[in-house]
Amino acid sequence: MKHITVSTLALCAALYGVAANAQAVTADKGGAADMVLLPKFLGILPFDQANRGAEEAHAELGNTGTLLYTGPTPENSVAGQIEILTTAGSQGQDVVMLSNNAGDQIGPAAEAAQTAGTKVVTWDSPIPSGQGETVFVAQVDFGSIGVVMADMAHSVMGGEGEFAVLSATPDAANQNAWIAAMEEALKDPKYANMKLVDTVYGDDQSEVSYNRALALVDSHPNLKLIMSPTTVGIQASAKAMQDEGLCDKVKVSGLGLPAEMVSYTMNGCAPEFALWSFVDLGYLTYYTSYMLATGKIKGEIGETFTAGRMGDYTIEEDPGRAGAKRILMGPFTVYNKDNVEAEAK
Amino acid sequence: MRISLGTLRIIVLLGVFAATVLFFASQIDGYLNARLFNRISGSVAVIALIAVGQAFVVLTRNIDLSIGSVVGCTAYFTGGILMAYPDLPPLLVPLLAMLIGGIFGALNGFLVARFRLPSIIVTLATLAIFRSILVQSSDGSSITTERLPVWLTSFATQNAFSIGELQMRWIVVISVVVVLVAHVFLTRFRAGRQFFAIGSNPDAAAFAGINAGRTIFLAFVISGALAGLAGFMFLSRFGNITVVAGLGLELKSVGAVVVGGVNIFGGSGNVLGVLIGAALIDVIDTSLVRWELVSEFWREAVLGLLILTAVAADTVLMRRLLKRKTDGGQQ
Repeated sequence: MKHITVSTLALCAALYGVAANAQAVTADKGGAADMVLLPKFLGILPFDQANRGAEEAHAELGNTGTLLYTGPTPENSVAGQIEILTTAGSQGQDVVMLSNNAGDQIGPAAEAAQTAGTKVVTWDSPIPSGQGETVFVAQVDFGSIGVVMADMAHSVMGGEGEFAVLSATPDAANQNAWIAAMEEALKDPKYANMKLVDTVYGDDQSEVSYNRALALVDSHPNLKLIMSPTTVGIQASAKAMQDEGLCDKVKVSGLGLPAEMVSYTMNGCAPEFALWSFVDLGYLTYYTSYMLATGKIKGEIGETFTAGRMGDYTIEEDPGRAGAKRILMGPFTVYNKDNVEAEAK
Repeated sequence: MRISLGTLRIIVLLGVFAATVLFFASQIDGYLNARLFNRISGSVAVIALIAVGQAFVVLTRNIDLSIGSVVGCTAYFTGGILMAYPDLPPLLVPLLAMLIGGIFGALNGFLVARFRLPSIIVTLATLAIFRSILVQSSDGSSITTERLPVWLTSFATQNAFSIGELQMRWIVVISVVVVLVAHVFLTRFRAGRQFFAIGSNPDAAAFAGINAGRTIFLAFVISGALAGLAGFMFLSRFGNITVVAGLGLELKSVGAVVVGGVNIFGGSGNVLGVLIGAALIDVIDTSLVRWELVSEFWREAVLGLLILTAVAADTVLMRRLLKRKTDGGQQ
């Protein structure tokens, strides 16, 4: 009997604990935190949109510290990111918000920054090993991106035939994770008649992606679809198919910006593609970072907080990376000819 | 029969080119067809223009490493101007692009010729500076196909004429014409020969009354203007221009120039060879993607190795042939 009582008490305590954790923490406005938003490189629309979201949150929270949007130039992305992160640590910045393009190479620099008291919050693309990373703000669940890509391929190809992937760089952590997730999703019997025949890399450059897309068509005469999980690659592939009059034969799908894809969706070259809001991603990343910097959250699993207009979020274990933590934003939108025009404006 | 050294080099290069194509034909199913030509000619057209400009600079014992950023800047700025003024007369647009590129080139030329700074340092710096100007002034937005005039985005795929399935696109025709004009200018005109003179013996050129500073300045302006024209074609071909446009083209152009037989220390070379060099590099690059034996991670290394092999084969063959010629008593 006594035994049961103790258990019950323990259960109550446990439940109480859960309830306490579920109580969302809200931010105190007007704190002081110096923040650095560090994209893969400067000058590409999605990152600029993320910065807009961060600026919105910065103004809303009345942060008396600074928000610095800085990044390397495109040709110097990997070395530049490591350098900026290292500098931010020694300057005593409070948080660096990083969209990682340097794979695990940036891990030691992130760890050094943490030791110096600078938190490293990743967004868009995490540090694969999680080394030196406080938490990752994931745009969508990486596993569900895989399912959505597989589903778009299924719908565009009518459920059967050969398709290929045109990705960004061979060491882009986010794209690699999404492709792996798609391959996992493809094991479902629903996709049994679809065959992924090739994966190539366009380095996130229009000209390389354009030529790779055409090379794919030439290598695989029965190709029905190019799946490109990168905004540069999907646009270049669609242009290549349109230029060579191949749209009837080979369709394009993947992750793209409505403003860049609208004509290809309307003319049938790219009937379906998906994306999330980079403005929201920047906004949520900023809220997370601000609350970490002002000590409202510690970055531990189970902590729940309110991110302004976007509502409540909870820190959880990252299912894709053992030992790492993430905050899941979601959801994302699938665009087709019914909704793309409105969004492109 | 007398064959000049230059002609011999072209013949050897053509041989290496044919061997490369045959090699890939033996490795890749359905490789040799008209489509291959249509695919590769378009991108060679862009690279060849840049490489010819680079050749002018290399002939004078200099190098232009800023060229990738110049292509990116002209493509972006020309696109930006067209989005603001879509009614510009089409013929004016390539000239505008050449003017923008020429200004970048003039800046390089001024620094190198006026202050006698090493061109490798100057253009390495301007490579970064021009790219940063592009990044800063773009403010993160890209040029998109939707907002460009239709004549521009369809220009890159328009045929001048076609032979059977072989399509000769306008950009290819223009590029070949530029190469031919450059060739005639360099070999038949006094002003053209001056580029060789400066590179092969600067002191003798000075004694002969050639203004080295002005010639070097001109080489950089030509390089910039041709990069500008390439930027126009780039804009037409890809439509969507981000700040990474043209990244790495400087290496491709130097590669084409060296493979094409221009002496990297100046003074000798032939732009017809440069055209073949550009085509050779592009064929290797495109074909490697289709060659299943090479994974993505090894592609760059294999490309480098094949370029080395091509250059080595060219050098060895040239030596052999030269020796035979001398032995035959025909020098």
